[in-house]
Amino acid sequence: MNTNVSQKTMLQAQSIRKSYGKKGSAQQVLKGIDLHVAEGEFVGIMGPSGSGKTTLLNVLATIDRPTEGKVLIEDADVSDMKDAELSAFRRKKLGFVFQDYNLLDTLTVKENILLPVSLGRRNRSGAELAYQAIAQSLGIEGLADKYPHELSGGQKQRTSAGRALIHRPALVFADEPTGALDSKSASNLLDTISKLNLERRGTIVMVSHDPVASSYCSRVIFLKDGRIYSEVYRGDKSRQAFFKDIMDVQAVLGGEAVDVV
Amino acid sequence: MTLFELVLRSMRKNIKHYYLYFFVFIFCTSLYFVFVTLQHDVSLPDRMDGGSVFSQAFLAAGFLLLLIVSVFTIYANRLFFNRRSREIGLYQLIGLTKRGVVQLLLLENTLLGIGALVAGIVCGALVYRIFLVLISSLLGFDGVVTVHFSLSAMYQTAAVFAVLIVLTSIQMVRMTYRTTLIDLFQAENRHEHPSTPANGPAAVFGLLGIVLILYGYWQSGRISQNTLFIGSLAILGSIIAGTYLLFRVTIGWLFGRIRRAANGHLGLRRALSLAPLMHRMRGQANSLTVITVLSAMTLTMVAAAYSFYYSAGKDTRNALPYDFAIENGESNAAKHFGEELDAKGIRYDHRKVDAIRLTGKICAVPSLSACEETTLLVLPAEQLRQTGADIPVPEPWNAAMYDGNAKLDRLTQDPNADLPKTIEMDLLKSESGNKLQLTDVVNRFAMNYNVYGDQLVVSETTFRALKAGMTALPQYEQEQMKERPDYAAVAFDTFQVPDKPQRKTASEAYAAFVPEGSHPFDYEREYRDKLQSFGLFIFITGFLGLVFLISTGSMLYFKQMTEAEQEKRSFITLRQLGFEKKDILKGIMRKQLFVFTIPLAIGIAHAAFAVKTVSVLVPSSIVVPSATAMGGYVLIYFIFVLLTMGYYKKIVKAAI
Repeated sequence: MNTNVSQKTMLQAQSIRKSYGKKGSAQQVLKGIDLHVAEGEFVGIMGPSGSGKTTLLNVLATIDRPTEGKVLIEDADVSDMKDAELSAFRRKKLGFVFQDYNLLDTLTVKENILLPVSLGRRNRSGAELAYQAIAQSLGIEGLADKYPHELSGGQKQRTSAGRALIHRPALVFADEPTGALDSKSASNLLDTISKLNLERRGTIVMVSHDPVASSYCSRVIFLKDGRIYSEVYRGDKSRQAFFKDIMDVQAVLGGEAVDVV
Repeated sequence: MTLFELVLRSMRKNIKHYYLYFFVFIFCTSLYFVFVTLQHDVSLPDRMDGGSVFSQAFLAAGFLLLLIVSVFTIYANRLFFNRRSREIGLYQLIGLTKRGVVQLLLLENTLLGIGALVAGIVCGALVYRIFLVLISSLLGFDGVVTVHFSLSAMYQTAAVFAVLIVLTSIQMVRMTYRTTLIDLFQAENRHEHPSTPANGPAAVFGLLGIVLILYGYWQSGRISQNTLFIGSLAILGSIIAGTYLLFRVTIGWLFGRIRRAANGHLGLRRALSLAPLMHRMRGQANSLTVITVLSAMTLTMVAAAYSFYYSAGKDTRNALPYDFAIENGESNAAKHFGEELDAKGIRYDHRKVDAIRLTGKICAVPSLSACEETTLLVLPAEQLRQTGADIPVPEPWNAAMYDGNAKLDRLTQDPNADLPKTIEMDLLKSESGNKLQLTDVVNRFAMNYNVYGDQLVVSETTFRALKAGMTALPQYEQEQMKERPDYAAVAFDTFQVPDKPQRKTASEAYAAFVPEGSHPFDYEREYRDKLQSFGLFIFITGFLGLVFLISTGSMLYFKQMTEAEQEKRSFITLRQLGFEKKDILKGIMRKQLFVFTIPLAIGIAHAAFAVKTVSVLVPSSIVVPSATAMGGYVLIYFIFVLLTMGYYKKIVKAAI
């Protein structure tokens, strides 16, 4: 099914370690993680609370720096880039979707979505076209002049997705994007995102504790205690079948499996 | 943990957070203590002519100081309560009763208040000497100042600020009992939801704001003496209402237009400045109006006080061109005064100036109905020039009026507007075919202002003709026998003492040569009196201005601090979107410039017009001293911009 996946490597993590606290009493959250994500993949990261999912996402997404190891995005080593370089890299190549949307509440939907392209010296008509296209595929054209507090959770998350995708990032990071949504809005959003992903040949890395959300992925990685515990591929399976596979691994893993059903 | 330990802990945290608030509180307490001590100080007023003026001035100053401190503390207290609402909610969530929370807050407020009060009084007592030296030099006192620590001043300060602490405590209790738990947890997120104002009404009210302010400015330029009270109330009302509308509607409306023109393509900098400002200004219209009006008031006060002080010498010269002028040598006062000066070894320049005094009418040219009957004092220009005065010689039969109050007497119209006027002298009408014409009004006096009669300067030949006409009158000799003749030839003995210390000695000697019961009008005495009252004025307005400035600056700073906390989340998001710290800070800088500059600029504009209106009281120029005072104000004001930027920088740096 995933004909979209090419052999080109988009993201590569090499023996990532991350510890917090002072030396001596440091607590290791990531204990050596190797990861390889190909262009066009939709990768889910799951695991019980405290397994290090969000830390891993932050390190991969250049928001946090690993204590040891390397992160390569499109063959560029982001773990030792300077702040200015890193900022420019994030702006050009990466997109972010968060659980609590993180929209700027004094900006309208359109202004929020256009924010990432505002520094890129892109001409205004080009940006306008990009906005029209993304707003249409997310179904939020009618909301351009609305402020975040006037929107429903699903609409906010669509706006947030629009902001993450408008500049056609090579790699999108999503941290529990459906965490605050009801199940209908959640599946709507995930449908749209995975469709867009197919169209635009983008790559997505998503952290979620929700097996339904993860079943939209092409591959799901399970973390436990800062290490990769297992991986499942969707392959040609239907989403329902893949959901069952995920549930099976979670049952073995323990933790959150109980509160899902 | 006991309640007391909890209090100590949160106090320590608060001092770190609100150091500026404590600084302002301590500063105000110290200053109030100093004012009260000066009010009760017996040694100073003795040296001034009007001792009661001195203590009255400090009484008023202390009152104004209390007013601003109350506004400031109550504003700050509310802001801090909102900021701590989550903490207060948390105490209640874990089982502390409202009563318990109130106890905690009261204990904290009382301890901190008393601490600040004691610190303020101690600082006040320590710096009192400096204030004393400063005021002595401003008022031109010399000699050593003695310092007494005034117990009654201490009691008064303690009592007044204790009342303030009680007031804020009551405010805290009320706020605690009136808020529900859910309010407390939402307080931080409960800033006004942004919305785009309806375009039509916004345009109307937005323009109305500008119109009201401009109307006030326009009216201030044409206020006249008979409408002084109503007129200034109308101007004040119009300007304050206009300022409020400006913040409430106009600025948001203008920003909205810019934003609509951008059609969503806002860019980072405008997203960080224009958008939040547009929404926040509306909610803060009240406090911004108060801040702007306070700034305008302070600026006017300080600029006017400095102008008066700055031009005291020049203004006195305008009123008293001669150090000493003695009318008619008959009583020999002039001769004896000269001898006295010789005896004291004082160098002086003595000149005689002739003049005639008679009644006359000054009439506007078109209609003879508008005539002003008055006593005229006619002086020859050539003789005045010989004394060193800079007075041009008028054409024959032309006269220039020298009146140092010309600007004040004719508040609105230009004194030279309807010239020339004719001058009619009934006595001399038949004698000469020539008519005297008033061609010029000069805003200073040609002869010391205390001499009787409106001063007209004519050329020597004209003067001689007039004098000859008068003395030739058959009834002239008879008239001179009266105690106060209706017309007479008079003479003035003018004395100029070029050396300053000698002038002072001469001034002391002069008092003996003035008729009993009348005030000695001499340059030196008048100048010192002026310096003293304006010195007092500038001392008080200077420090009050500083308190106003620090209070308004701190209010803006606290408000920005709260906003920075609320916007923290946005900064993290922006960093994740790939914006650099320096780009974000540039956007914030722009916002700060607006937040601080808009009230300042409007305040300065208001003050400029107010000072212009007040300037009729100052004959000499007000531009230099006003600009200096305003410049100083702006400089101190920008310290708060720097403080705020520093705070934002810390928050953005911590974002990722």
